[in-house]
Amino acid sequence: MAWDSATLRQQFPILQRQVRGKRLVFLDSAASAQKPQAVIDAITHIYTHSYANVHRGIYSLAEEATEAYEAAREKLARFIHAPESAEVIFTRNATEALNLVAYSWGRTNIEPGDRIIITEMEHHANLVPWQQIAQQQRAELLYIPVTVDGELDQAAYAELLTGGAKVVALTLMSNVLGTLPPVREMAAAAHAAGALVVIDAAQAAPHLPVDVQALDADFLALSGHKMGGPAVGALWGRRALLEAMPPFLFGGDMILSVQKYSSVWNDLPYKFEAGTPAIAETVGLGAAVDFLTALGMEAVHQHERELVKYAMAQLPQVPGLRILGPPAERRGGVVAFTLEGIHPHDIASLLDEDAICIRAGLHCAEPLHRRYGLPATARASFYIYNDESDVDALVAGLHKVVKFLRRV
Amino acid sequence: MSEMYRELMLEHYHNPQNYGLLEDAPVNIELDNPTCGDHVHLTARLDAEGRIAEAQFQGHGCVVSMAAASMLTEEVVGKTPEEVARMELADIETLMGGVRLSMGRVKCATLALNALKKGLVEKK
Repeated sequence: MAWDSATLRQQFPILQRQVRGKRLVFLDSAASAQKPQAVIDAITHIYTHSYANVHRGIYSLAEEATEAYEAAREKLARFIHAPESAEVIFTRNATEALNLVAYSWGRTNIEPGDRIIITEMEHHANLVPWQQIAQQQRAELLYIPVTVDGELDQAAYAELLTGGAKVVALTLMSNVLGTLPPVREMAAAAHAAGALVVIDAAQAAPHLPVDVQALDADFLALSGHKMGGPAVGALWGRRALLEAMPPFLFGGDMILSVQKYSSVWNDLPYKFEAGTPAIAETVGLGAAVDFLTALGMEAVHQHERELVKYAMAQLPQVPGLRILGPPAERRGGVVAFTLEGIHPHDIASLLDEDAICIRAGLHCAEPLHRRYGLPATARASFYIYNDESDVDALVAGLHKVVKFLRRV
Repeated sequence: MSEMYRELMLEHYHNPQNYGLLEDAPVNIELDNPTCGDHVHLTARLDAEGRIAEAQFQGHGCVVSMAAASMLTEEVVGKTPEEVARMELADIETLMGGVRLSMGRVKCATLALNALKKGLVEKK
């Protein structure tokens, strides 16, 4: 079936609006994606019809809310091919999910002198928690280098693993370069070296099929708001690991019984969901998962691959434009670039005047920018509602930026 | 013409005023805007009355940060450190011809001003 962006676009109310009288060209979905009507309706519906706190009330409203909340867990578990839904823990976002692993598993299992391996292309969310745990536990933090072409240096990784490691934490898709590292093979190598594998799927989960079993992951974090859902995240982990871990946050809902001087923790997944969760947002995430599942993640991936291929063919027309990262066939729907002599902030500000939304800055990946010696980059990212007309608008906008700002 | 990038701003960006560094200047400070990599190195000398006699800068960054630095080095000549300490974003926006900068660009616009304020406090 041919991909029909025009029809899809109709389902996203925000994309119908104009900015400064111009059609909105939204190319910043890697930061946060826009929401389909189905997600907005799901949130409205629960607040209008079935809202109460979950896991507590005996009355029917509370049961309906709990049912909707738990249904979202089932949907997400199927979406990432989790063996069981109790291994899916809802969090505030992917950042919190990764912090949960670093704090709860890391502080219990990482000992002085242990080695933690991450990559130079990590988002700060999968970098700073490990950096801090390494400091606190007096462990060693090691980086898999990024090559000039924006790939992970596999020879260097193999070399790092010969020294052993307790954990390898890496992204399934770079939020700057778009790189899709060979995570399955890298996970196998990590396991062979005795390390656990933590995968940051915040960028990948909205764009390509994710299968925690095929990846042989130990933990995987994702973010709902990048998938067309609200700002809620999730962590998947192997049951045996999660059961052995202490809770991350303490309070209501995560306990079975509380005595004055001791408590008994609740079962999975509730042990890690202290306090009232983001009920409506989580239900909204369930609707986003339904929406993506109906499209088919393989088709989503294929659509974006074609769009990136088109963008990477068109963008170099702009004088002085340099694209970072691997060729189109080895990346997701993200294109970071620089324009010679023009600061990314100026690119973004000027494009905004034509209602074109891109991101400019470090994209929460400062070490990666340092590796390339760049103070900042501009980034266009694509999603299901984008098509070639958006790329054409971007290219035309960039020509205008160059004409306007470049010194002659 | 662009809404934000007024002609005056672009003139300063393309032909920055007081671009350079004063030797042995008592005010000598470097400041970064870590979120976007803007960098400014600012030097200034005071006269016998304690007013700014001369200011020069070097740096790299976006149009807003570089134009603001250029305009500032002209504007502050004759001002006392107390007068500089009272300057704020609105003054920079006025210098730029009355633009209203978006929230994301405030740090760019005030980078040189913040450097000068800090440099005056720390002056040798």
